[in-house]
Amino acid sequence: MLFLQLVINGLQLGAIYALTAVGFSLIFGATKVFHVAHGAAFTIAAYLFWWIFTVLHIAWPVAVLAAVVASVVFGLAMERFIYRPIQRHEGAFFTVFIAAFGVQIIIQNLTGSVFGRGFASVTTSLSHSVEVLPGLFVAPIAWISLLIALVVFTALSLYLSRTHTGMAMRALSENPDLIRVFGLDPGRVAQCAFGIGSAMVVPGAILTSMTAGLNPAIGAHVMLISLAATIVGGIGSLRGAACGGFLLGLAENLALWRLDPQWSEAVTFVVLFLFIIFRPSGFFGRPQAAK
Amino acid sequence: METYIINLLVLISINAILAVTLNFILGYAGIFSIAHALFFGVGAYAATFAAMKLGLDFTGATAFGMLLAALISLALALPALRVRGEYFVAASLGLQMLAITVFTEWKSVTGGIGGLTNIPPARIFGFTLTQPEHYLVLSLACLLAIILIIRALVRSSFGRSLKALRDDEAAASAFGKNVSVIKTSAVVLSSALAAVAGSLYASYLSFINVESFVLETSIQLMAMVIIGGTATLFGPVVGAVLIILLPAGLSYIPHLPATEIGSIQQIIYGLAMVLLMIFRPGGLWGFQENPKAHA
Amino acid sequence: MRLVRSLLFVAASFVALSSARAQDVIKIGADLPMSGPNAEYGELFGAAANLAVEHANADKMLSKKLVIQFEDSQATPQQGVVAMNKLVSVEKVPFVLSAFTGVSKAIAPVGDRAKVVSVNGGGIGPDLAELGEYFWNVIPLVNLEIRVMAPYLVQERGFKRIALIYVDDPAGEAINKELAENVPKAGGQLVAQLQIPRNAQQFTSIAARVRGANPDLVFIASFGAQQAQIVKQLRDNGVSQQLAGYSVFSSPTVTELPEAKGALFPTQSVDWSAPGMSQRVAKDWKAKTGKDPSFFVANYYNAVMVFVTLAQALEKSGQPITGENLLKQRKATGTFDLVGGKMEFLPNGSVSMPIQINEVDGGAGKVVKAGTMAK
Repeated sequence: MLFLQLVINGLQLGAIYALTAVGFSLIFGATKVFHVAHGAAFTIAAYLFWWIFTVLHIAWPVAVLAAVVASVVFGLAMERFIYRPIQRHEGAFFTVFIAAFGVQIIIQNLTGSVFGRGFASVTTSLSHSVEVLPGLFVAPIAWISLLIALVVFTALSLYLSRTHTGMAMRALSENPDLIRVFGLDPGRVAQCAFGIGSAMVVPGAILTSMTAGLNPAIGAHVMLISLAATIVGGIGSLRGAACGGFLLGLAENLALWRLDPQWSEAVTFVVLFLFIIFRPSGFFGRPQAAK
Repeated sequence: METYIINLLVLISINAILAVTLNFILGYAGIFSIAHALFFGVGAYAATFAAMKLGLDFTGATAFGMLLAALISLALALPALRVRGEYFVAASLGLQMLAITVFTEWKSVTGGIGGLTNIPPARIFGFTLTQPEHYLVLSLACLLAIILIIRALVRSSFGRSLKALRDDEAAASAFGKNVSVIKTSAVVLSSALAAVAGSLYASYLSFINVESFVLETSIQLMAMVIIGGTATLFGPVVGAVLIILLPAGLSYIPHLPATEIGSIQQIIYGLAMVLLMIFRPGGLWGFQENPKAHA
Repeated sequence: MRLVRSLLFVAASFVALSSARAQDVIKIGADLPMSGPNAEYGELFGAAANLAVEHANADKMLSKKLVIQFEDSQATPQQGVVAMNKLVSVEKVPFVLSAFTGVSKAIAPVGDRAKVVSVNGGGIGPDLAELGEYFWNVIPLVNLEIRVMAPYLVQERGFKRIALIYVDDPAGEAINKELAENVPKAGGQLVAQLQIPRNAQQFTSIAARVRGANPDLVFIASFGAQQAQIVKQLRDNGVSQQLAGYSVFSSPTVTELPEAKGALFPTQSVDWSAPGMSQRVAKDWKAKTGKDPSFFVANYYNAVMVFVTLAQALEKSGQPITGENLLKQRKATGTFDLVGGKMEFLPNGSVSMPIQINEVDGGAGKVVKAGTMAK
């Protein structure tokens, strides 16, 4: 029963990881920007939702909408004012990394100053688990997480396969030169990728505010997991990133089945390291990692 | 006042050693490691162990730390040989996070989060370093020696091979360069030299715990290299000076609300990182166009 | 351009500060986390210390105005040492408020060398009692808390099976050790000892492990946002048993959490309704923050008041206020009149105080067992 419980917990957490990781992977695939400030978008969305819903007592759809708008605006602003100017000079991967990390520091501290530095959580009956089988506790939010992940991924794959920009984005992650074939403006595609990718942190952010709760430093953890899931899934593969997210969520929880809790984070990174050594192309990636 | 400045200078020298050694693989070999704090930690813990349990003096303890760091760095060299770019970043990230768990949990050696206290002062050729000035001399000497070693290496045929590899691995191997040997030796060398900083740090502070060797440290070291200028000899030193002095300097700004001081400092620090990357992406020291445009 | 301007600004501030350095104040230092994940504590501790300064200045207890120079330790040893060095050698303060075990251990040698007193009012690891003469604790360390708490839980409340979730730092380990010793002694049993890393955020599966151990009570030994996360996630995931914690449970992060209602935790005994100093602090704190004070407020208030009391005595006898004299004066002083009653220093520089048991009631806590001394 413990095993089953851990699997369900792993899937619930995995859904949140998968959603954030796919957003990260989408941005990376289409723009080749290693967007480590992705965690900052998560922090912004989560705190804004919490503030509007719990502090201002405004209906949740408004709070969700505000979170979406804020994270999209943040993503677009990052692309327009930080990444694009840097890439215009020189595309060095690590220059972008440091700048994004600087943004992460700024957002973390601003969040602490504005919203308080303590623990914040959204109180809802959705996170209270009920005993579905003897010894097996599942909260409604577990099903909701999985459902949201399913809906978002379906919508995304429809967008990527049916719309012109979507197809361009997908093509880009496989072959950057294809952009010209499509005759699209690379700037516009990048903006779309940042907008959609950033919006994808919102479900995870809201779910986290209801389950684990928030603190201003939460973005750093989200960034690490997104990055790890993207690599485990294979860079540029959205399907891979989603599976990577689920795998890491499961690994973190299943580690508790046999190991003491202090090792569960290490398990996540052992998985990451092993993937890089033995399967650098990820789940579905092409066997071509070195470039 | 003097003690305060000497303390900052010692910390700058120690961080400069780390930045310079990181630059050796990052700037010259194109190996983007965010696990450098791991070797800083290994050097610190190993040297402390050697000093406290084996009774070795500073040179012996440091050599012990370097040896251990060199051995462990082989685990980092392994992915470096197989993958490049983002993958290697992630591999080094994985190693860094594992190291944090090990540093925290292997309490009999590392003391866990409680750390190790009462680390004996450095003893070198029978002389015991007690004053901050002594440490300043020692750490500056180490920094200078390491800069000279790296300068010599970069200008040797080994350094040329490294740069060839960074710019075009395929071409380098086509010219008969043994890619694995070159990459592995670069990683091992950089890690071993980083351990020197660990040994200095442990004996200077006389207290170490895992909090000094975490991911944030690795990223801060990387920031020093990038802000100063990759693939330059003195860029990382400039970066180290700036990053250590920035928060210290900011703490002098008057009239900040007491409880917001920290946040404001951090925000300015973050802003400086962003603005520098936008307006001086080649680093402060790197006046010439950086030859490698992408990674 | 902007960089140049901000550098100029910093340079100008240096000049402004050094020329404006006033000799007409008495300055003490505070090396607290003002940014990062633990800034919440720095904020709370700093506010409590500031209240003490206000009171001391309003009452003209010292010949000159007392001020606190705040420095950010970020709760990390390196930043803590940089800040401590600044306080010691630039600001030349004789007395520094400290918090967090890692920082305290790193700054203790600096203070020792410079003969500057550091006082901890927040960390409770028993290793803090062994940092030398110049390192004092105004907070009873955790072993005292557990020695009162364990018999209470097992014998008076009948919680025989106790599950422990503890963070792997010195305080957590000390609690684990003390519980493992004192729970069986009281006739109970420690049925699970789950160690967690400090940065863990997900406890859904820990809750499953706790349920599996079938305890009567879950003891949580963590701090900061993490303990609130643990409480919330245990309650969300089918752990309905009694909860308990140690003194850091009194931080507002936990006491204001609806899920924590009814949890038990020990603190040093503070009777806020006692006339005089305690009542005044409680009233002014409430006026300032709208909240009832926690015992952290008492401790950092007390830390400053210890300084004021000693400095007052030194001024009276015409001696300069230096760390060395403060230490000498402390040894000569028997008891201190502080918030929560009389306090006495043990020879190792820590204090023994009566420990009370509280219950989380949505405010600052309800006392369920009056203060008793640890045996």
